[in-house]
Amino acid sequence: MTVLKVNGRPVEISNRGDRTLATALREDLGLIGVRVSCAEGECGSCTVLVDNKPMTSCLMLAQQAKGKEIVTIEGMANGDDLHPIQQAFIEEQGFQCGFCTPGLILSTKAFLAENPNPTADEVSVGMSGNICRCGAYPYIVKAVLKAAELMDETATA
Amino acid sequence: MKSAFTYERAGSPAEAVALLAKHGPDAMIWAGGTDMTLQWQQEKVSPTVCIDIRDISELDYIEIDNSGIRIGAMASLASLERSADRHHILTMLSDITKLMATPQTRTLATVGGNLCNASPAADLSPAFVALDATVKIFSALGARKVSMLDFFKGVNKTEVGPAELLEEVFIPLPDDGDVQASYKRIDRTVVDIALVNGSAAVTVGSDGVISKVGLGLGAVAPIILNAPDASAALEGLKLSDVTREKLAKVAAIAAKHAKPITDVRASAGYRQDMVEIMLRRSLEDSISKHGGTL
Ligand SMILES: Cc1cc2nc3c(=O)[nH]c(=O)nc-3n(C[C@H](O)[C@H](O)[C@H](O)COP(=O)(O)OP(=O)(O)OC[C@H]3O[C@@H](n4cnc5c(N)ncnc54)[C@H](O)[C@@H]3O)c2cc1C
Repeated sequence: MTVLKVNGRPVEISNRGDRTLATALREDLGLIGVRVSCAEGECGSCTVLVDNKPMTSCLMLAQQAKGKEIVTIEGMANGDDLHPIQQAFIEEQGFQCGFCTPGLILSTKAFLAENPNPTADEVSVGMSGNICRCGAYPYIVKAVLKAAELMDETATA
Repeated sequence: MKSAFTYERAGSPAEAVALLAKHGPDAMIWAGGTDMTLQWQQEKVSPTVCIDIRDISELDYIEIDNSGIRIGAMASLASLERSADRHHILTMLSDITKLMATPQTRTLATVGGNLCNASPAADLSPAFVALDATVKIFSALGARKVSMLDFFKGVNKTEVGPAELLEEVFIPLPDDGDVQASYKRIDRTVVDIALVNGSAAVTVGSDGVISKVGLGLGAVAPIILNAPDASAALEGLKLSDVTREKLAKVAAIAAKHAKPITDVRASAGYRQDMVEIMLRRSLEDSISKHGGTL
């Protein structure tokens, strides 16, 4: 067994080499918020944070994540309290069917950590690695801008 | 069926090449894995052992001194992207990375992996060829240097031998004057490799004379090409004497080296025509960056 640190907790996955991180998170750990769509690193649905950096978990091997801190959508809320980014996506309806949303929220977290006060154009570029096949992009951009606002409030409160 | 493989993590270049020697030809290096994981899943390669070099942090650097810029093989495309402020050549390379893949894939993907995968359409290779870069290859016997041009041996084939590791790319900076470079590509959609691309690097001495011209042509042959005769046609000219017509002629000479093929992405004829335009625009851009008026 291989121990990974996922959402702040040590968890066990199979020690097979030939499995992607996305597969291990979904199948060994039941973290099905990790969505696999293209499985080729293009659509960004499977985005997770590895040591705070956004990575497509469909292209990474599970064993490569050993010793790193993994965050999936399941690790964003604090108990019943949604993360401000989740709250913002709800308030601005930054989704349609919701399939791509976990990946978008994790990309948003990494993006805002680097650029806490972005312009709408910067958001579009920052989110360019996440495809929303429903085309909810205008709402997604608003949601990310709203998230920046909410996080700024929480930080100064 | 996808091959089953075991996993080994190398902590240093010496460990990586020892693992390669120990496990033989079916052991394969995983850096970012953005090419490897796909090629394994698509059954284009069948590794039995994965040698993960992600954690070789001693190869993750971008350093600048008077002689040139050194980029460690493990520098990610994301860190190259974020190095833009450190040197104008890094600004240009950073702009290239923004054309590549997606933000989340760039955090995984490495510069070394991009070169070792040796796709004829890869985005960094033509600029490195134009900039006359050299690479350092590590083995149990020590390190050896190879020019970027000689590094590529064919589609997915490089100078890197079975028990060797790419360590570093070195971009020389001129002793006198400065070098400016540019890269242009044609792509179909945002997340796609180039249909055709071209790069130029122009060095102008403190006397205002063009002392060195490098060209790189991508996706028009199995390897990245240069064009010494075209470079020579521009070298020795004064920056102030360069005209649009002259650059168009140089690009036309360079484009004669292309041996494009027709595939699903583009026809040979289209690639032939466009590589000339990519080179012309790269040359114009490099001259403009030097302050030359066209
Ligand atoms: C969605 C997507 C979009 C992409 N878009 C682009 C694009 O626009 N332009 C582009 O050029 N590429 C693109 N790529 C290809 C790929 O991301 C790049 O080539 C990347 O830089 C490869 O780096 P890596 O670290 O992931 O390589 P890996 O997959 O880890 O390795 C690639 C190859 O190099 C070998 N290798 C890696 N490092 C070393 C080393 N230090 N020494 C010896 N051998 C080594 C491996 O064994 C393997 O054969 C894209 C890929 C994806 C998935």
